[in-house]
Amino acid sequence: MHDALLTLGFGIVTASILALSAVAFTLQYGVTNVANVSHGEILTVGAYAAYLVHQRTGSAIAAAIAAALAGGLVALAMYSSLIGPFIRFGASPTVVFIATLGMSFVIQNTLVIFFGAANVAYTLDPGAPRQLGPFLITPLDEEIVVSAVAITVVLFVIISRTKFGKALRAVSQNRELARVTGINATRIAGATFFLAGLVAGYAGFILAESVGSFNPYFGFGFFLITLTAAVAGGLGRAFGTLAGAVMVGLILEFAQTVRLPGGSYVSASYNLAFAFAILAIVILVRPRGLFTNARRSIFE
Amino acid sequence: MSGPDTSPALEVRGLTKHFGGVYAVDGCSFQAPRGQVTGLIGPNGAGKSTAIDLISGFKLPDGGTVLFKGRAIEGLAPHHISRMGLIRTFQSPREWPGLTVLENVVMARWDAGRESFLRGVVGLARAQRDRSSAELAKAREILDEFGLLALRDERAGNLSGGQKRLVEFARIRMAQPELVILDEPMGGVNPVLGERMALAIEAFIATGTSVIVVEHNLPFIERVTQHVIVMALGTVIAEGPFESLRSNQDVVDAYLGGAVAG
Amino acid sequence: MREYLISVLTEGAIFGIMALGLNVIWGWSGDFDLAYYGYIAVGAYMTLVLTVGPAVAPAHYILGLTLPYPLAVVIAVITSMAVSLVVGSIALRHLRGIYFSIVTLGAVYVMYVFAGQYTPLFNGYQGLSGLFDPMGDWFGLDYLSYQYFLLGLCLVLFALVFLFMWRISGSRFGMALRTLREDERAAAAFGRDIYRLKLKGYVLGAGLGGFAGALFAAYLTAFNTSAWSPVEVIVLYSAVLVGGRGNIWGVALGVLIMGLLVQESTRFLPMLPGLGELNTVHPQVLLAARGAIIGLVLVLFLRFRPQGLLPERRFADSEGALAVAPQTA
Repeated sequence: MHDALLTLGFGIVTASILALSAVAFTLQYGVTNVANVSHGEILTVGAYAAYLVHQRTGSAIAAAIAAALAGGLVALAMYSSLIGPFIRFGASPTVVFIATLGMSFVIQNTLVIFFGAANVAYTLDPGAPRQLGPFLITPLDEEIVVSAVAITVVLFVIISRTKFGKALRAVSQNRELARVTGINATRIAGATFFLAGLVAGYAGFILAESVGSFNPYFGFGFFLITLTAAVAGGLGRAFGTLAGAVMVGLILEFAQTVRLPGGSYVSASYNLAFAFAILAIVILVRPRGLFTNARRSIFE
Repeated sequence: MSGPDTSPALEVRGLTKHFGGVYAVDGCSFQAPRGQVTGLIGPNGAGKSTAIDLISGFKLPDGGTVLFKGRAIEGLAPHHISRMGLIRTFQSPREWPGLTVLENVVMARWDAGRESFLRGVVGLARAQRDRSSAELAKAREILDEFGLLALRDERAGNLSGGQKRLVEFARIRMAQPELVILDEPMGGVNPVLGERMALAIEAFIATGTSVIVVEHNLPFIERVTQHVIVMALGTVIAEGPFESLRSNQDVVDAYLGGAVAG
Repeated sequence: MREYLISVLTEGAIFGIMALGLNVIWGWSGDFDLAYYGYIAVGAYMTLVLTVGPAVAPAHYILGLTLPYPLAVVIAVITSMAVSLVVGSIALRHLRGIYFSIVTLGAVYVMYVFAGQYTPLFNGYQGLSGLFDPMGDWFGLDYLSYQYFLLGLCLVLFALVFLFMWRISGSRFGMALRTLREDERAAAAFGRDIYRLKLKGYVLGAGLGGFAGALFAAYLTAFNTSAWSPVEVIVLYSAVLVGGRGNIWGVALGVLIMGLLVQESTRFLPMLPGLGELNTVHPQVLLAARGAIIGLVLVLFLRFRPQGLLPERRFADSEGALAVAPQTA
């Protein structure tokens, strides 16, 4: 993961990927109140699916679709086999959190069994870079950012305009109340996971592709940053998450330009550490995210 | 030494708390007489529970002052207030479910000495051991009084709601605070236990603990209190013995429908 | 074979100490602390930089003294406790539940990254090595005898720590910690300073972790970031969970079971059809299979037996049985 970050650096491309990943995570959290630690594995699975399909078909579009579908199915499986049952069984959020940590470990290791632990190189032709304002951007970068924006727009249309979206919001706000009004909370949660999985799977595809390689562990590393963005935006609040993602992406990009005494730049490997420093600060100052009011005493 | 202490057990002046634009507690002032049971009643949303949270340190007030034992305690942390001698209960029973009933009662008293890490761990001193068995004996005595002795090794989380309430009362007897605030003790409890609770409250008074009771169950209030404070919309609208409130128009209006009357 | 057994038992005793320390924070205080392994690492690293002598280029690390091992251990433990004080004072002030877990995860990740990346500190990913037979020269032991010596030492220390934990478990301090776990609000209403009490428990647990880390350094003769891989961490947490959080006997049992599982799986996994062949193609397959099984065990226990095999024991009031009868004056 360290070399990956070195190659990638941080910029709008990553902020776009981060935004998708964070929104997917937030959707899952909103509808179940569970922080899914194996979220990163959805991206990893998406990357593997895309790679395999691309090898077979040579089509990037097919790869993208495969990534999304694989992600959706994995996320759905996560919900129906683990998260859903644990919630119904009445487990506390911490217990489910630990369980998803365990599940993350299982998935990573299963991928190693089938694909080995080595890095898999995966590149698409980025095309010739050109100047776009202050940025040096390739056509591939453009496609990534545009697709990310498009997906986000579609998501928001779904959430705010459709009947499903309305049910989703109801379940996120108050599961019991939603049930009482006839909404099948379990079905909605499952569908939401599938939807979030589609997005996250696709995010895995473009992440792997931007970095140039991936392995069974790469999603987990990205998850840590995703978590930062999601918490910064306010767990469970989709709009805030986007802002959180952009913010985290920007801060990390600036952090890279900081010059240490002695003249060297801060190594990109510290990026995750930075991300966590941000996370810790956010949680301490405003545990409900940056876009809500701060709490008063520990008991409020 | 002149006669018994007649200063109020608790004095609240102008207590205020708002959430966003809503004033949950708005200039609330009252006194709770020492050695008596004071009731705190009012319709839902009157601000009673918030007031209790403010007094006991679980919420930070936006304004006003709370005087206890001659000190202003508003803004202090809950454990400080508790150590000064003001203990409160909560709307739902808050026993320590994984501990036994006996452990629940024994742990009601904060023991600065033995809970310090060093002394707690290293303390093989005889004095500590003696104090510990005297404490156990006291705890058993109290449990016996409440009819819970047979359940002393039972996991507290396994008890019924009413039994948990009694354990809470036992804890208060063990801690012997100067003032106890009971937040809706009858909530979710079989009315049959009402008399037992009333007796327990009278025992508090007898052992030197003043009582404030927040309750919706008005017959219970009538049974145990000598003085009642009525809150509505975040402030005190009437005070006096329960009887006098029946005919108080403000109180009747506040309850919208005369739950007090008749 | 005998050497293998000695080695496994020694490591088991050290793991036992680690688990007992984690039990204070997770079992008694009730906080799922993901930073714990960091304190173990600090203990190990500090012990090494205090005993292996000055750095020889291209290695870089701080200190580089040659203190006697017991002194180094003491300093290492104090350092672990200091680090935990910093993390704990931030994380325990306002955070509970998953927010607490996430922040501690962040803290341990920061520690990991710094240990690995910032080479002047602990020589980066290479880590430190060279702690051979600490205290062995006091007794003039040869290689094999030293293995026995270390085993004996670790077992004795484990027993002492176990006794210490037993003492705390029954003490008022230990019970006060558990009231925090059971219901914080009620604990505060009855006079407990939640923050300070949790912090005390946290630092105590971390101190034990640092102590175990110091022993771990002696056992491994070295330490670097590959010694704190996810597998080690998950096995530790699983041991506490599977055995029984809050129950020191349970924790010991959990260490035994997880230890057996880890050891035995390396033995029977290659015999599973298909896995053996896969392993020749992808060499990490066996390790991954083991990891997957451990993860699965963790999840299954969380679902079906979250209290562990030996749930917390309750203090049964035997004395009271006699005191109930006649009324004493």
